[in-house]
Amino acid sequence: MKKVDVEQLVKIVGKDNATDNPADLYVYSADASVHQAMPNAVVRPKTIEQVQKIMRYANKNKIPVVPRGAGSGTSGHSVPIDGGIVLDMKRMNRILEVSPEDMLVRVEPGVVDDDLNRTLLSYGLFYPPAPASSRIATIGGEIAANASGVRSVKYGATRDYVMGMKVVLADGSLVNLGSNTRVHSSGYQLERLIVGSEGTLGVVVEATMRIIPIPKFRCLGMANFNKIENAGNAISEIISSGSQPSMLELMDGIGIIAVNKALDMGLPKVGAIVFFEADGNIKEAVDYETYKMKQICEKHKGFGVKMSYDAAERKRIFSGRKKLFASLSRYKEGIVCTDLADDMGVPNSKIAVTTTKIHEIAKRNHVIMAVYGHCGSGVIHTKIMLDSKKKSQWKDAEKVIEELYDFIHSIGGVTSAEHGIGLSKAPPWKKARKDIIPMMRAIKKALDPNNILNPHKIMDAPDNWVKATDLRYRVGS
Amino acid sequence: MAAKKIIFKQSKKWEGELDKCIRCGYCYELCPLFKSYNWESDTPRGKLLLVHGMITGKLKPTQEIIEKIFQCFYCKNCSDNCSAGVPVTEILTDARADLINAGFEVEGTIIQINEELCSVCGVCVSLCKYDALKIVNDGKDKKKVVVDKIECRGCGLCLAACPSQAISQKEGCNVTLPELHENVKEILRKDEKKLVVFACNYSIFPGLQLSESQTIINLPYGVIVSMCSGRVAPELILEAFEEGAWGVMVAGCPPEECDHNGNYKTRRRLILLKKMLNELNIEPERVKLEWFSTGESSKLLNMINQFVEELEKLGPIKAYVKT
Repeated sequence: MKKVDVEQLVKIVGKDNATDNPADLYVYSADASVHQAMPNAVVRPKTIEQVQKIMRYANKNKIPVVPRGAGSGTSGHSVPIDGGIVLDMKRMNRILEVSPEDMLVRVEPGVVDDDLNRTLLSYGLFYPPAPASSRIATIGGEIAANASGVRSVKYGATRDYVMGMKVVLADGSLVNLGSNTRVHSSGYQLERLIVGSEGTLGVVVEATMRIIPIPKFRCLGMANFNKIENAGNAISEIISSGSQPSMLELMDGIGIIAVNKALDMGLPKVGAIVFFEADGNIKEAVDYETYKMKQICEKHKGFGVKMSYDAAERKRIFSGRKKLFASLSRYKEGIVCTDLADDMGVPNSKIAVTTTKIHEIAKRNHVIMAVYGHCGSGVIHTKIMLDSKKKSQWKDAEKVIEELYDFIHSIGGVTSAEHGIGLSKAPPWKKARKDIIPMMRAIKKALDPNNILNPHKIMDAPDNWVKATDLRYRVGS
Repeated sequence: MAAKKIIFKQSKKWEGELDKCIRCGYCYELCPLFKSYNWESDTPRGKLLLVHGMITGKLKPTQEIIEKIFQCFYCKNCSDNCSAGVPVTEILTDARADLINAGFEVEGTIIQINEELCSVCGVCVSLCKYDALKIVNDGKDKKKVVVDKIECRGCGLCLAACPSQAISQKEGCNVTLPELHENVKEILRKDEKKLVVFACNYSIFPGLQLSESQTIINLPYGVIVSMCSGRVAPELILEAFEEGAWGVMVAGCPPEECDHNGNYKTRRRLILLKKMLNELNIEPERVKLEWFSTGESSKLLNMINQFVEELEKLGPIKAYVKT
């Protein structure tokens, strides 16, 4: 790698949009993960042509380029492990076209998910994948991680909405992938290849996404459970019974204590809460679905069921779950909430066994793990809460991760359901998916022969996640 | 400037809290500094990273880093909305104290006083709610106004009230009078809006905030975030009318909720302005002052739509219609 010449970058994007100021380099060295590594420069392009010029310069000089959206990644996806250029895409934030006739939007990658949905609201339409971070998450970042969220149980993930995209490749060339049609059978589905590629194959500079009408009715319910396995079994039965929830969420007792402490939510002190929602255009159909889910919850010893169609009441009921992630920091003094083992996916029948297994592994290894997530889709979120100052706790975390992922893979689950692999989830993922690594490396080499696009991530990430980069915490002895 | 070795006496205690920050970044959608500059180093999360870096010895303080730490309007949208409960502005204040005590010179969003223009009348001193301004002796028989750089919140009330125009603030955050003038012109000339809304950052802006993507819908109004409503000088409103606005709305915090008491000053100013408008043959009802609490963005949007309807009935200002 040659030294990054910021002057060259300034020529491309102007002096206000390229920097090697130490304040910026330090801030762009981190995301929401435990990792930290300094870039040599940060650049903020505004146009496709600028992205092309930056890539040509980087490719010629073999300088790593790490595209970045909101920087809310949980596994170090946008942490520049080899230095180089961080490509902050947030200035490319225009909605280029809303077409209710074709039911699609064309957007630049820096458009924030909530902003897109606010705009679509006036058309009576919405873009469903919305992760919990939709208030800051960019469409480009969501494509990179194949993000999904609370409504994935009915509406799916980002990949289900991508119709086409413009991508700048490592050599600076621009390709137009996919189509404006709802289906296509015209060659490789390359737009799908970019989804979930975590910035390793190209820079998304424009995306065409499918949009759908906002349903007229939404009814949200919540049910309390004394035992988490009962809650897990209720969720599994709701799905296997053929119900069509538009949301089916779990939150365990640790999560409940955390949000009550952090936000004074006043949630009942129970073992778990299940949030369930149905939506549709015919109220009787929504009534039918929610009543059925209520009955299944009660069959599994769920109690204190509350349900509401009212938007303000729904928001109030769900606000504790929405803010859970950050609230976990407040669970107990002296511990921090680390973004580790955060989003495994398991088959529908394995939800209850996974939730109890997580608590058991955590207890045995002296850490705390909350269990929550979009369990209707099989997405189980956890966080490892530990005393970051103690070196031994990082050893504990390593043991937890190895043991937990061995379990997840043994029951047919996946390492990551919606956040991506990045750095910290790479070791267990590599262990489980040895067979596909050569294929992924071949694709990477074909598209990025100089290995400049977000290098050393996913299949090429270091085998020890603790030593992959500096940790964001100061660890004692 | 070369890196200095300093002791973080006051801010060191916050390391545990800084570790509690999960760096989710949810704070920055609400940050006016981020909306102005769009650099992550201007976000609350970015500033906390810098403080963490400095107090843990990973990052040596440089002038660029210090400038970032001193750029904050203390609207507290970040700490009020942090689910991890990290007291962002308290941490920043202690970091500021350590850096000032270490002898750093900063500009940031701190106000500056031009001593040649300042008449030491003391208007600014009496209205600063943070006691950030003091009159001190400056040699024999001379006095001057000095700014406490740790306590100054950059709210800018003193700036709008100074009769000698001796107070200024760094440009770039879209809050100085020349910048607000430019924004008014842009909204009315380029975007051809009918209504200009000055929105207080401290109350309703967080609920209003949208990225550039809103441009796809052509709204009849433009919103200018003016920080405290107390910054909206009457000449800004008059200029909006000259530039073709049919109406101006000033949206501020309810009387008891303003952090700076700026809303009382706005109310007084607008009463006087409305009297003056009569003299200029401009209907006084073209200026509206409304109060909104945090989170009342839907109320604001309703009021705006209602006002637009009233303005449609009034039409353009006759005094300014070109014949």
